[in-house]
Amino acid sequence: MIVKEADLLRLSARQLVKKRLRVALTVLGIAIGVAAVIGIVALSDGIRYQAIETIRSQSDLTLIEVHPSTQDGVSQLITGSRVESLRSIPHVTGLSPAFTDSYSTRKQTFLQILAVDGNEIGPVLHLTLASGRMPEPGAPEVVFGADIKDKLQRNEGIRIGDVFMALVREYNETGMPVDRQVPLSVAGALTDRDDKFDQYVFIDRGTAVRIRGEDRGYDTVFVRVDDPDAVFAVVDSITAQGFTVTGAFEQIEAVNRFMDALLIVFMLFAAFALVVGGLMITTTMITSVYERTRELGITMAVGASEHDVIRMVLYECLLIGVIGGIVGDLVGLLFTAIINTVGKPWIIARLGPEFSTIFGSEIAKLSPAMMVAGLLIAVLFSLIAGIYPAIKATRMNPVDAIRGLQ
Amino acid sequence: MTAGIETESLGKEYGNGVVALRNVTVSVEQGEFVALVGRSGSGKSTLMNILGGLDHPTQGSVIINGKVVRYTDRRTLIDLRRNTVGFIFQQFNLLSALNAAENVEYPLLFNYLPKDGRRKRALYLLSLVGLEERAEHLPHQLSGGEQQRVAIARALVAEPSVILADEPTGNLDSKTSAEIYQLMREVNEQRKVTFIIVTHERELASYCDRTIELRDGVVLS
Repeated sequence: MIVKEADLLRLSARQLVKKRLRVALTVLGIAIGVAAVIGIVALSDGIRYQAIETIRSQSDLTLIEVHPSTQDGVSQLITGSRVESLRSIPHVTGLSPAFTDSYSTRKQTFLQILAVDGNEIGPVLHLTLASGRMPEPGAPEVVFGADIKDKLQRNEGIRIGDVFMALVREYNETGMPVDRQVPLSVAGALTDRDDKFDQYVFIDRGTAVRIRGEDRGYDTVFVRVDDPDAVFAVVDSITAQGFTVTGAFEQIEAVNRFMDALLIVFMLFAAFALVVGGLMITTTMITSVYERTRELGITMAVGASEHDVIRMVLYECLLIGVIGGIVGDLVGLLFTAIINTVGKPWIIARLGPEFSTIFGSEIAKLSPAMMVAGLLIAVLFSLIAGIYPAIKATRMNPVDAIRGLQ
Repeated sequence: MTAGIETESLGKEYGNGVVALRNVTVSVEQGEFVALVGRSGSGKSTLMNILGGLDHPTQGSVIINGKVVRYTDRRTLIDLRRNTVGFIFQQFNLLSALNAAENVEYPLLFNYLPKDGRRKRALYLLSLVGLEERAEHLPHQLSGGEQQRVAIARALVAEPSVILADEPTGNLDSKTSAEIYQLMREVNEQRKVTFIIVTHERELASYCDRTIELRDGVVLS
């Protein structure tokens, strides 16, 4: 059996050599299709990779913020036992329950308060001091985020080491707002992070509870994950416990969603190129079958079955597909190389120099798996394209075929 | 069981209503060298194609080597063409991309014979028809007579019991024709292969053991 397949394949190869110009053009057709597909995938994968790398480097990916999910419009605060259940999730290295509050200064500057254990600001939130120190547990001290520090220093002259009056708004029996003054000292300020922590005023949790006079539980738990690649798994298990989860990982999800949508649209166009390539194969093979009608008739007269004839035609298509796939892969490689050498400076020039770091390495990334996929796609399309000509080849009457009547 | 070919009340009517064969009953014994003559349109080619498993009758039956040919079964017909019948055509009909030896071994490709065995057998048959020197030549490098010799070798390669030759000398000059006839006759005598030769040349028909004549789809003699 192997002998016969090899023979038929060799025979098909000779047929292709005989009409090499036509085959070369057909191969080019399918190759352009393959190159378009893998080129587009390479480009979008590259852009996706760069975007995610940028998110990873510029945002705190391994910090997850857990909020109570809102049920029937009421958000259930997080209790201590539910916090402990988060701790047992694999890859969680630390967590910090917190609640948010708001005070203001006497000049009506809004202060967004994050009440968190002072000992966990460094280890869990990975916040670092630009100056001063972290608040002592239980002490009436605060640490400023970078932006709010600048703002208060500029507008109200509040500096590290100062004590300022914070206004804590409460409501009396008749529902009227009453502002209570609480003296707070500024223990330190954090480094600039370019995220929302820059706006926060950090206060020790115990102090915040004492200021409000009641413990209302937590509305946020910060969860630290040890490995960026484990973030999505941790997010899934936290979500499964009925919490709402936010964090920098959402940006990655957004990028992936966007790139997926973009890829589908692009692939549609690339698929047109592939279909055109496939139609070229069909045309070439129909012509070839017509030209060889007599030959195929003789082939059947000397004992070939319909099956044999179908395989002879399909083997030709297979060879065209393999060559087309390989050429397509090579063109795709060339395409990505051009994008990465010529295209990259061009794109960066358009976007401006601040983007030059984003595309640090390559814009288009062509993986070996993608090249294999390209080859398989070419073979698949070629074989599909060959079905009709192959069946057509068996449909003729050998008698008429030999006489050259068909 | 008798070796040879028999037809019983064979009829062939085409879809368009043309009747090509009518009640044809003939018998050809194994090893006979028979001419099939008749004007064009008399049904000779139709009869040959039915005997060779390329076409099927609409009436009657064909018995080859004692077995009724089941025309409804594809495998039977493929087997018939592969192993029992060899064809020789007026146009030689060699495959232009293959050289002489490859053309001869071409039918064996569909017989699962390994390449070495095929090539050996092809070269042997080429020497039988006197073309061992031309094994590597492509058809267009061969004369008409040489091409037909290659075709005869090809027809013999699967050791068929019958060779159906459709105007084998129609495209050859008279000297070459005579040589081809002589070659076929030698093969017939040495290998006891049955030959049924369609021809309209009375002179060539006279070389044959006997003549079957068709007129308007009916056997005359």
